[in-house]
Amino acid sequence: MKNQLKVLRAMRSWSQADLGEHLDVSRQAVNAIETGKYDPSLPLAFKISRLFALPIEEIFDDEFEGY
Amino acid sequence: MTNLKDTNMIDRDEIAGSNGRRFMWVIVSGLGIVMAAGAVSGYLAAHEAQGGGAIGAAGILTLCAFATIIIGLAFAIWRNVSKMKASNEGLTRRETLNRNMIYGFVLIGGVIGLLPAFYDTIVGNSDTGPPLLLADSPMPPAIALMLIFFWTVIMPIIAWFWHKRAIDEQEASAYRDGGYYAAYALLIGAPTWWMLWRGGFVPEPDGVAIFMLFALIWTAVWFWKKYR
Repeated sequence: MKNQLKVLRAMRSWSQADLGEHLDVSRQAVNAIETGKYDPSLPLAFKISRLFALPIEEIFDDEFEGY
Repeated sequence: MTNLKDTNMIDRDEIAGSNGRRFMWVIVSGLGIVMAAGAVSGYLAAHEAQGGGAIGAAGILTLCAFATIIIGLAFAIWRNVSKMKASNEGLTRRETLNRNMIYGFVLIGGVIGLLPAFYDTIVGNSDTGPPLLLADSPMPPAIALMLIFFWTVIMPIIAWFWHKRAIDEQEASAYRDGGYYAAYALLIGAPTWWMLWRGGFVPEPDGVAIFMLFALIWTAVWFWKKYR
């Protein structure tokens, strides 16, 4: 899934490890989400959303074109 | 997949991105050293069982080959650890705990593997058969009780702590995927082997080999899913 995590992280000058500490996940998990190799669970997506104060759909894009 | 391919954001995380592969080589090299040490131990035990005495040229050559392998693997560990340190990879507290526990597992596994191997060498329990840990022959009760205690008491405690404190949801997902692959390999592979044996095509199914393959597949898929 495409996402803006890397940009949002860079705007705060956070490393992947810094973001991982905020989310209580490993750097590897942040890296996997950023590179689209792993889609976060709904609770983690909400946690990310709250951390950056943005709606989930502004951070993650499932590329759904609409019905 | 990400939509950030065109940006030029390079931070230390991108340099450290491949550390998973280096970490894998450290673990594999560590296990390789344990296995090579076990092979040396087994070779010496077999030599003792056959009367002992001076080791011939072929024996010295074999031991030198194993020594070279051990030195090479130790060099690989040192080189990969150096590169991991040089990448200045930032680890979260959870990840640091996770990695320390993995190193601990390798160490404990090595000790558990080597203790029976030393028993083989010192007591001469095994001459041509498989190492004590993998054989189906009787085992000294003290060693058996020690291994049972570790497997049934210590392992569940470590596993509980590991899943509650050390891993996150991405790793838990990698574990589940590993479990699926291993379970299907077992469900398909074990009966197939059994039928092949009944048909006279292959030797009798080996429980230890099946267990080892199950664990190996689970571990390999976990590692691939976590660090790819």
